[in-house]
Amino acid sequence: MLKGRGVSVGIGFGNVVILRDEEIKITKNKVKDVEHELEYFNKCYNDVLRETEEMIKDLSGTELEIMQAYLIMMQDPTLTNQTINLIQNEQYNVIYATEEGFNSIIDLFKNMDDTYMSERSFDIKKKKNRVLNRLLNRKTINLGKLEKNTIIVAKELKTSDTAKLNYSNVSGIITEIGGSNSHVSIMARNHAIPAVARISDITKILRDGDFIGLDGQTGEVFVNPSEDEYQMLLKKKETFDTEKVELEKYRDIDPITADGYRAEVMANAGVPDDIDLIKTTNAEGIGLLRSEFIYMDSPTIPTEEEQFKQYKSVVMQMGEKEVIVRTLDIGGDKELKSFDLPKETNPFLGYRAIRICLDRITVFKAQLRALLRASVFGNLSIMFPMIATIEELREAKDILEDCKKELRSENIDFNENIKVGIMIEIPSAALTANELARECDFFSIGTNDLIQYTVAAERGNEKVANIYNKYNPGVIRLIKMAIDGAHQAGIKCGMCGEAAGDAHYIPLLLGLGLDEFSMNASSVLRAKKIITNMNKKDCEILANEILKMSSSTEIEKTLKK
Amino acid sequence: MKSKKIILENESGLHARPAAELAKLAAKYACNIELVVNEKKINAKSVIAIMAAGIKESTQIEIICDGQDEDEALIAIEEGFKNKFGEDK
Repeated sequence: MLKGRGVSVGIGFGNVVILRDEEIKITKNKVKDVEHELEYFNKCYNDVLRETEEMIKDLSGTELEIMQAYLIMMQDPTLTNQTINLIQNEQYNVIYATEEGFNSIIDLFKNMDDTYMSERSFDIKKKKNRVLNRLLNRKTINLGKLEKNTIIVAKELKTSDTAKLNYSNVSGIITEIGGSNSHVSIMARNHAIPAVARISDITKILRDGDFIGLDGQTGEVFVNPSEDEYQMLLKKKETFDTEKVELEKYRDIDPITADGYRAEVMANAGVPDDIDLIKTTNAEGIGLLRSEFIYMDSPTIPTEEEQFKQYKSVVMQMGEKEVIVRTLDIGGDKELKSFDLPKETNPFLGYRAIRICLDRITVFKAQLRALLRASVFGNLSIMFPMIATIEELREAKDILEDCKKELRSENIDFNENIKVGIMIEIPSAALTANELARECDFFSIGTNDLIQYTVAAERGNEKVANIYNKYNPGVIRLIKMAIDGAHQAGIKCGMCGEAAGDAHYIPLLLGLGLDEFSMNASSVLRAKKIITNMNKKDCEILANEILKMSSSTEIEKTLKK
Repeated sequence: MKSKKIILENESGLHARPAAELAKLAAKYACNIELVVNEKKINAKSVIAIMAAGIKESTQIEIICDGQDEDEALIAIEEGFKNKFGEDK
């Protein structure tokens, strides 16, 4: 049995597929049989071409157009000329020839002064690696086409990997690094896939095809489990599934406390696929739609029209229910292909989110216009992230007003009463909540960033994980200030951070008066159950008690009692 | 040999997609097709060569077609540029 850290609850069984991130070793030598070397290169290259053609079959829209362009690049003899030349005329081995031949093209692009073009060097590098992997007879894995019951094992999973993942066939995820706040863990919880992180060298210990049972609560991983171990896990799985069935009862129940306080339970969404999941939980809306998915994987910034179609589709799927769209929130640890963001020494304190949008107004306006246009097809609200000052809010609202004016003069419909809110995730915003609340329609507290900025400890950094803590009394007091500020101005205060779905934290938030809880879809039913079984009065007493406490440990102990 | 000068209208230049469209179109003709940009010759049948030239909006491009079907080729390529190779539609 191996043990790591459980980051997404549930029991999973399945067969291992390892995502290897191995360095490709380039050997350099001269060969005698040039014909054979050439033939082998052509055969492998054609295999890669055919695979690409296969992949394209399942695509549509922009994605298809991009891949078609890539395919044409791969069919261009210019790409392989130098490689073939190195084999034919210099008698180099195929691996060295491919490395050098493709590098000559990569350098060509890398040195261009056009950022878009210089980024194309990454695409060619990817192609080179695919060809090299093929020449070395290494399998590449198509994350969109996994077998049923796959357990993904990797050093770490990047945003670009999880975006492609076909979740319905994944029964578990094991990674070497990461913690409960890392991106993959959040995604795993979102999709109710059991996941374990922090097992060193797991990609080397396991083999492709190994049968595995894992427990996302305890962090235990059983490789080819014995009959006893298998039965034990199966029993746990049954208990877990029974709880799931039990929670089903709360699907159609409104989250009202025993003493009649009505809270709202909504869900967070990151990709369009999340919407189906959210609908199955009957959440009261989307409290946070991360709009970054629209920009992901696209080599250029999507046009207003492309964005409009996507937003429209989401709001239409949600019908009457509110969809709060957070405007572009990149920078920090989130990068995008289409944005050339300079590397900063302190990215979380740098050029990110609303700061980028207020600087690159054309990009911002395209998104705002698309959102306004989509607003007539459902119940859409706009939320600005990373607001630190009232000037930023005013400026963002001015730009939104400009967009409205433009649309009016173009006779394009939009919801004139569209709600505009802000994320409270910077201490200065929580401290000035009274003032900010007078100039917007709602708040949503983003706990992940609020904690990080309050205690000056980044999430995901295991060395300071004990400081990054939602039980910190400073954090809790800022949450209270935000809620009180909102209520004084008569607006709603929600929360869309991880803490909103935390069973131990919900009573505190209820006591502090939070109106709306937005969380991973997989936590929605449990949150409804908790709220329904609570008394608001008791929660208020608990909150008052907590507000008097000075240590995180004490607060955590009290809340977990 | 037939040639014609045009101005590139694509806002984001000849990036991957329009460059691929151009190369695909050029490949349909038997004649040699070259683009001359800032005195540099580019093989219009090679998407990599087109992209590597990094041609930006408003750049003057001379299309040169040389061979059997040069007339038809020139008309088709010019038309392609006019339609911005399907961009902004």
